[in-house]
Amino acid sequence: MKKKKIFTSICKNGLLLLYSLFALFPLFWMILISFKSDAQMFNTTFIFSPTLENYDAVLLRTNYFRYFKDSVIVSVCAVAVSVLAGVPAAYALARYNFKKKEDLAFQILSFKFAPEILVVLPLFMIYQKAGLYDTYTGLIWVYQLITMPLLIWVIRGYFEDISVEIEHAAQVDGYSWWQVFLKRLLPLIKPGLVSASLLAFIFAWNNFTFPLQLSGTKVETITVASLKYIASDTVHYGQMAVAAAVSALPAVIFALLIQKHLVRGLSFGAVKG
Amino acid sequence: MAKIELTGVTKRFGKMTALNDINLEIRNNEFFVLFGPAGAGKTTLLNSIAGIQLPEQGVIKFDGEIINKIDPAHRNVAVVFENYALYPNLTVYKNIASPLRSPLYKKDRETIDKEVKRVAAMLRIEKLLDRLPSQLSNGQRQRVAIGRALVRSPRVFLMDEPLAHLDAKLRHYMRSELKEMQSSFNSTCIYVTHDFMEAMSLGDRIAIINQGRIVQIGTREEVYYMPCNEFVAALVGEPEINFVEGRLVKQDEECFVQIMNLDLISVPQGHELENRLCSGEITELHLGFRPQNLKYCFEEKKGCLHGTVYSFESIGNKAVLIAKAGDTLLRMIAPNDLKVKLDQDVFIELPIEKAIFFDARTTDYIGIFDEEAVRRLSQEPQCREVI
Amino acid sequence: MAKLIIKNLYKRYGNKKKRGEQNNDFAVNDLTLKCEDGEFIGILGPSGCGKTTTLRMIAGLEEITRGDIYIGEQKVNELHPKDRSIGLAFEDYALYPPLTVYDNIAFNLKAKGLSRDRIREQVMAIAPLLKVEDLLDKMPVSLSGGQKQRVNIARAIVRRPGLLLLDEPLSHLDGKMRQSLRMEIKRLHNEIKCTSVYVTHDQLEAMSLADRIAIMDLGVLQQFGTPMEVYDNPANEFVAGFIGEPPMNLLKTTIIHHDSDFYFTFADSDLRILVPKRYYGKVHDGMQVKMGVRPTDVYIGGPDSKGTPVKVAVFEDLCNERRIGIRVGDELVMMITEDETRYRHGDQVKLEVNGEKTHLFDLETGNRIRG
Repeated sequence: MKKKKIFTSICKNGLLLLYSLFALFPLFWMILISFKSDAQMFNTTFIFSPTLENYDAVLLRTNYFRYFKDSVIVSVCAVAVSVLAGVPAAYALARYNFKKKEDLAFQILSFKFAPEILVVLPLFMIYQKAGLYDTYTGLIWVYQLITMPLLIWVIRGYFEDISVEIEHAAQVDGYSWWQVFLKRLLPLIKPGLVSASLLAFIFAWNNFTFPLQLSGTKVETITVASLKYIASDTVHYGQMAVAAAVSALPAVIFALLIQKHLVRGLSFGAVKG
Repeated sequence: MAKIELTGVTKRFGKMTALNDINLEIRNNEFFVLFGPAGAGKTTLLNSIAGIQLPEQGVIKFDGEIINKIDPAHRNVAVVFENYALYPNLTVYKNIASPLRSPLYKKDRETIDKEVKRVAAMLRIEKLLDRLPSQLSNGQRQRVAIGRALVRSPRVFLMDEPLAHLDAKLRHYMRSELKEMQSSFNSTCIYVTHDFMEAMSLGDRIAIINQGRIVQIGTREEVYYMPCNEFVAALVGEPEINFVEGRLVKQDEECFVQIMNLDLISVPQGHELENRLCSGEITELHLGFRPQNLKYCFEEKKGCLHGTVYSFESIGNKAVLIAKAGDTLLRMIAPNDLKVKLDQDVFIELPIEKAIFFDARTTDYIGIFDEEAVRRLSQEPQCREVI
Repeated sequence: MAKLIIKNLYKRYGNKKKRGEQNNDFAVNDLTLKCEDGEFIGILGPSGCGKTTTLRMIAGLEEITRGDIYIGEQKVNELHPKDRSIGLAFEDYALYPPLTVYDNIAFNLKAKGLSRDRIREQVMAIAPLLKVEDLLDKMPVSLSGGQKQRVNIARAIVRRPGLLLLDEPLSHLDGKMRQSLRMEIKRLHNEIKCTSVYVTHDQLEAMSLADRIAIMDLGVLQQFGTPMEVYDNPANEFVAGFIGEPPMNLLKTTIIHHDSDFYFTFADSDLRILVPKRYYGKVHDGMQVKMGVRPTDVYIGGPDSKGTPVKVAVFEDLCNERRIGIRVGDELVMMITEDETRYRHGDQVKLEVNGEKTHLFDLETGNRIRG
């Protein structure tokens, strides 16, 4: 009996190990080659003399931080707008009953279904005419297609799980509706709000299609800007690796921060009955 | 303290009418009980008075002032919710202190601490002040909910089955504490319960509610001895009242009542009851006998109904003996140690002077022998100690 | 049908904050119970006493810290709930919302792989016992609380389990429905004689349904006996005060010896009650004990009574009975009577106590002193 348990345990862990090697190796490789000079790129694998010249080239001698800043502005603002508009929307969907409520909810969710490449061409034309092309506002607005449905979906579940009697109790205690919302409801949806916001941020940060088509030179996110490091004559793999690695950093950090809360935060409201 | 008046209050949820033309007047400092089966509308009524729900029609007044448009926070009421409604992320201490920290009813820290501890001691939850609601049992959560309501001195206490999940001993203790507190606080209290003994023991007046309508309002004596119809009679009383078929027989200007297949009994003349019975068109009667008033014996006796023992169940300090006579089941009180065998012969005496007369067709109340006595009893206040 | 044996059962929660009031680490502390085949056992106690935890350990929903549980001849400590031959009916029904009543009841049978006809046979055999034959096509959302609970119980017993476990099934129902469902459960048990364990905090439910009652407090078994045994011969002060509504009068008293008789005396009161003769060998002058007597065993004596003169402090007319309170020092002695005489505050009456039904409890341990 025990032997069988050990055997299955070894198999399970072995498979997990293999898979994690498979998943993490590209990242590991990318970081590795970011420290390799061009000269040593093709004739060494794991043993080489690390150098910071790629970092120097990318971070200090190009506009890298400008692109990084643009990504930060667009992503953070997109999530902020989604939270400000999405949380009340989620509350309305959870608490009130109105005609076609579920149709509306589904419609909001369906924004995520549409492939970006499909909608980006018509949007390009509209943006040009509306003067939103290559602006922060334009990108923040279109990013709502990615960030808001997720937030509303998760937060609605949280609100539905909070018994409405708690709001009644708080009102009777002497709190105005707004205070009830801030002091009693917000703390209860905090886990979901944090996980959903961070996930939305990651989606927004990683987005490529929208900034590629709807933005030009004035607003350039890091995802689009990374293309520049694939030069037309030679490919400076080392520099590309730096650009990619640094741009992946926020997403990785946030994912690590919320990993504990991610599953719980996102699935909390899922089971009803 | 507040006098509460409801006039024509109607509340609908979609197609369902939860409250149907409710008219109520609750006096200042009264301990008013709302009694009725599940789904009757008790919680909706309480919520309407608290301001949590707005009725479609009707007017609610506190001390003569219409408060329909006033939000719950400003009505100065305290509510004990049936499902406790505790704040899950706050400790017991903070839950109870919550009303005293709100902008409207704010108190300073020392007062808050003193009041919370006082209330916790009374509810015997002093040792739980640092726990979260998820770490408490049902009974403990219920006491925290009561504590949160008691920590203030509002105009009105609204309590929705506050003692439902407590064991008998704790319920007994809490009942007397609540009643004592209410009288010392000078607050009006509206108390929802489906426990008949609680209603009888606590209420200055009781309102029977069923399917969104107020069926009867009265003192415990009025509701018990003069229920306005068979529904109220069956609801108020434990064990449940017995209904026996009867007929009104008129012979030579005189009225007689025949209970099931027994001999005719004459109705004393000049009695108010006699007027109601004999002058009307009623022929078919239902006579209500409370189990406490029926007497049984195991030897044949004249004028007694013959039946067989159907069941015998102990209910604590006494037992219920159920006899079957024809198609009718009759519940009677018996001592715990009575030795009976199922299907044994038993003879039941039905004292007509204790019967409540109902019209069999409409189930409405006709009368009892001594309504005056009941009214007099109603006027007498319960004697409580003067400490 | 199977008997249930619980031997030295302990339950401790890893997280100390979970249960343990008053420094009690164990939610269940050394519980031993033996139930016969076909017996209806009640586990009764205040909230937090460990009764639900015990039931969950019997069901296999909680891990056992120490001790053994046997269902039939089999030790079930390590067995998965589905292999324990039990039926569960918990207080919150948990019926599957998208399934009809029929499908809800049949669910377990389908999972076992029985044929359609066999399933139908078993469901139709159970349905009339709980009066749910007319509800078989309905959806749970359209049922009342009482109906849901009946379907819940039907679902639990349709597999004819060896052991039926019920956790406060009536707690969410209103007064009348509780009464009628209580009778249904009693009749059901008479018909199918399934060994049953019924957890409740309501002493009336336990008293009227159970063949024997196990009373628990703070994880410890206080007494295990028939309803009459726990009512008439409570093992200790806790049981005496917990069983019976209104609760037993429990008064701290000092016994004095006077003229070859012993009397109970009470602080801040002139009241003196004769100690029943059967305790004479066990008491001495100056002894402090707790005296317990039920409200039904205290009377107001007639005009010729030789009872102790006292004054009425509280009088409550609850129509079907009257409750009279006599103040004795700091305490109030309650009596119940169906006699229709009414009293006023301050009325002089004669107090009589039924000596046969008076109990003595040790002041420190709370255990009953046998006479």
